[in-house]
Amino acid sequence: MAVDTMEAPALVDDRAPARHLKAGVVYAALGLLLVVLALTALDGDRTTTVAFDRTLADADWALPTLGAVIALGAVTAAAGAWMIAGLAHRWFKLASVAAVTAFVLALLVWSYSQPGTVFRAESILAGALFLSLPYMFGALSGVVCERSGVINIGIEGQFLMGAFTGVLVANITGNVYAGMVGAMLAGALSTMLLALLATKYQVNQVVVGVILNLLALGFTSFMYDQLKKADGLNDAFSIPTISWGPLADIPVLGPVLFQQKLFVYVGLVLVAAVWFLLYRTRWGLRTRAVGEHPAAADSMGVDVNRLRFWNVTAAGLIAGFGGAWFTIANSLAFSKNMTAGLGFVALAVMIVGRWNPLGVLAGALIFGFTTQVARDLDASGSSLVPGEFLQMLPYAVTLVVVAGLIGRAKAPAADGVPYNPGDK
Amino acid sequence: MSTETKSPAPEQPEAAAAPEPKPNFMRLFGRYLTEANSVMVTVYSLLLAFLIGAILLIVSDEYTRSTYSYFFARPQDALSASWYLVRDSYLALFEGAILNLNTLDRFAAGTADFGDVLRPLSETLTYATPLIFTGLAVGLAFRAGLFNIGAQGQMIFGMMGALIVGFSLNLPAAIHLPLAVIAGAVAGGLFGAVPGVLKATTGAHEVISSIMLNNIAALFLVWAIGTDFLHSETKPDLVTKPVEDSAVMPTLLSSLNSSLRVNFSLVVGIAAAVFVWWLLSKSTFGFRIRAVGFNEHASATAGMRIGSTYSTTMAAAGALAGLAGAALSLGVGSGGITTNTALEYGFDGITVALLGRANPGGIVAAALLFGALKAGALSAQPDVPVDISTLLQAIIVLFIAAPALVKAILHLRTPRGGLVTLEAKGW
Repeated sequence: MAVDTMEAPALVDDRAPARHLKAGVVYAALGLLLVVLALTALDGDRTTTVAFDRTLADADWALPTLGAVIALGAVTAAAGAWMIAGLAHRWFKLASVAAVTAFVLALLVWSYSQPGTVFRAESILAGALFLSLPYMFGALSGVVCERSGVINIGIEGQFLMGAFTGVLVANITGNVYAGMVGAMLAGALSTMLLALLATKYQVNQVVVGVILNLLALGFTSFMYDQLKKADGLNDAFSIPTISWGPLADIPVLGPVLFQQKLFVYVGLVLVAAVWFLLYRTRWGLRTRAVGEHPAAADSMGVDVNRLRFWNVTAAGLIAGFGGAWFTIANSLAFSKNMTAGLGFVALAVMIVGRWNPLGVLAGALIFGFTTQVARDLDASGSSLVPGEFLQMLPYAVTLVVVAGLIGRAKAPAADGVPYNPGDK
Repeated sequence: MSTETKSPAPEQPEAAAAPEPKPNFMRLFGRYLTEANSVMVTVYSLLLAFLIGAILLIVSDEYTRSTYSYFFARPQDALSASWYLVRDSYLALFEGAILNLNTLDRFAAGTADFGDVLRPLSETLTYATPLIFTGLAVGLAFRAGLFNIGAQGQMIFGMMGALIVGFSLNLPAAIHLPLAVIAGAVAGGLFGAVPGVLKATTGAHEVISSIMLNNIAALFLVWAIGTDFLHSETKPDLVTKPVEDSAVMPTLLSSLNSSLRVNFSLVVGIAAAVFVWWLLSKSTFGFRIRAVGFNEHASATAGMRIGSTYSTTMAAAGALAGLAGAALSLGVGSGGITTNTALEYGFDGITVALLGRANPGGIVAAALLFGALKAGALSAQPDVPVDISTLLQAIIVLFIAAPALVKAILHLRTPRGGLVTLEAKGW
């Protein structure tokens, strides 16, 4: 049965040409601006050094900055010009990706051209993948909830519960893996409350999500203050980095993929697993049906609220594991509000990734990369723009996406609408 | 309910055969107490929250927990330890928020003045003031069916707007102070209008755009404080220039005792609550807000412009949150603002609006309660973990938002007209 409606909306977008024109003008202008700025403000003898710092110690690669920025700016402008000239819709995505990638690369090349800064490619990419994990776990948890029609705005709270419980259980049992399981269970227990309220008591899910965040913040901070009076309940635990023997020595790929902590592999496997489960299994079909049209699913014999309850609870396992990233994966003890709003960024990643695990992977990697570069530039003190503005980027991107400026983000139709079988 | 089968006719006389006793006052009162109406749900939410808080206090306290290890040998130890722990903790909150019994004794003995007795109340009112504004900011938007989670960001921009006018101009106080307050409201209003306009023009959900704007505002504040324009000329740490004396909010009670911080913002806050009440219940704009909140499709059919209602409501809500910011930056006296000045007043506004059920009167009462919790917790730390205020707040509003939960836990009866809940909406 060809019931997969994923691709359908793209076929009936009659406003596409107007959008192409607008986007094209923006990209062309950005590209030209970059070229003009480079020609006026950039010294001709500057170079950008790219280092393969973990595998090939002496293979630094010096790139003439001016030439590279102009070339990349030209690519951006050319992609824009192509859009203005009118292009088939199927090329639009490719042209957008080319334009954005070239633009971002140009900014990177420029940023790392300051004397004394080196783009340590392997450390930065490996760090980007590691930093993308909280977004990945949080957004995947959000995907499972929202695909079943329950808005989960409480990811931040589940992160906190997972981060706190992970360390506590690890300390009590002395086993870091038990701590990870504890974190998952804590995440599941706190989403279970949301699941119960959303399905049985039919409350406003957004409001309850916000309250659950506050509850988790209050609970973990309160417990933190109480438990720190006792010794040895909040000591940092760490897990080893897994090194895949000779594979770890491959330039770029080795440090990024084959020399990481367990969390990285769990994250990548989960992306694939959630995608497979959602789009290739009976459970996935039912879940998506319940999120799009619960009455139809109900009439086909699916117990809507039961499925929603268990899906939301399972999503809590993922978010709780993501919480353990903050403490265990980073070898840190718990501290108050240590998730610092990343749960909300994860929500943003879910939307940017269009409620699709593969989109989530792309979004999480982009946000992780931005965060890593912002940190690196901030540390070297040579950033062109203040670090705060770099940190704003993910939020600004999300605003642009929800406002429909880059395509349209469309939530599952029944997302956040409680289902009462009696109302049919 | 319509799917339920009607009870057959013969059963009805049977029901009539056991007539209800004549209702008297006590009976009606008892009926009221066991019903999940909005007043009793509020009361029970508070009681349940303090009960759960007590349990968490007992469980998390090391000494008290240890007495439970021999509970069956000597239960009186565990019970008395628990009782004293809970009593002392809540008493400490009360003394920090309302009336300190020690100070009262010293006042009776003549070693403390009346101002000392009033200090806890002054602290409560000081913490309640920004909550009144942010509570109104969230509550007003609620009435239009909008969830304004962005009060925090709007407040931050209001803080900066009021601060800039406050230190950069040199005017007599009668003009300067109102001008600075208005600047705060305008800055907050403009920032608050963004999610409203985005929703009206592109359909972007206000919750998600507000969350993003909150983060942007918080980062912007960190950056702005570091700039030469805002940064203090005398202090090296991250703090801004102070506002001119002519823009400082006058204190209300400092003639009694210089430590009484409660200031004129409180009066502005009450006035704002009265204004919002008038706006909602007496004005055309308020009618439009309520109509759109009640049923946007019907309102659109009736000729109301939904998009412009969203935009203007969010702008008005943002202006209210901006006033909270103005109250903070003009109320801190000689110091400038830091990244910590805003605390979490904007997010707490959500809980205030929920507990106050989006009614201006209720919001003022809820702000007073949460202000008291905050003042109490801050004065009772470190004996009592300071986050007990956040915890209690969250539990209270969780029950308020889910009255069915309270009803189920306490086996209350459903009131006529059903439970009062917030309307659930998707993205």
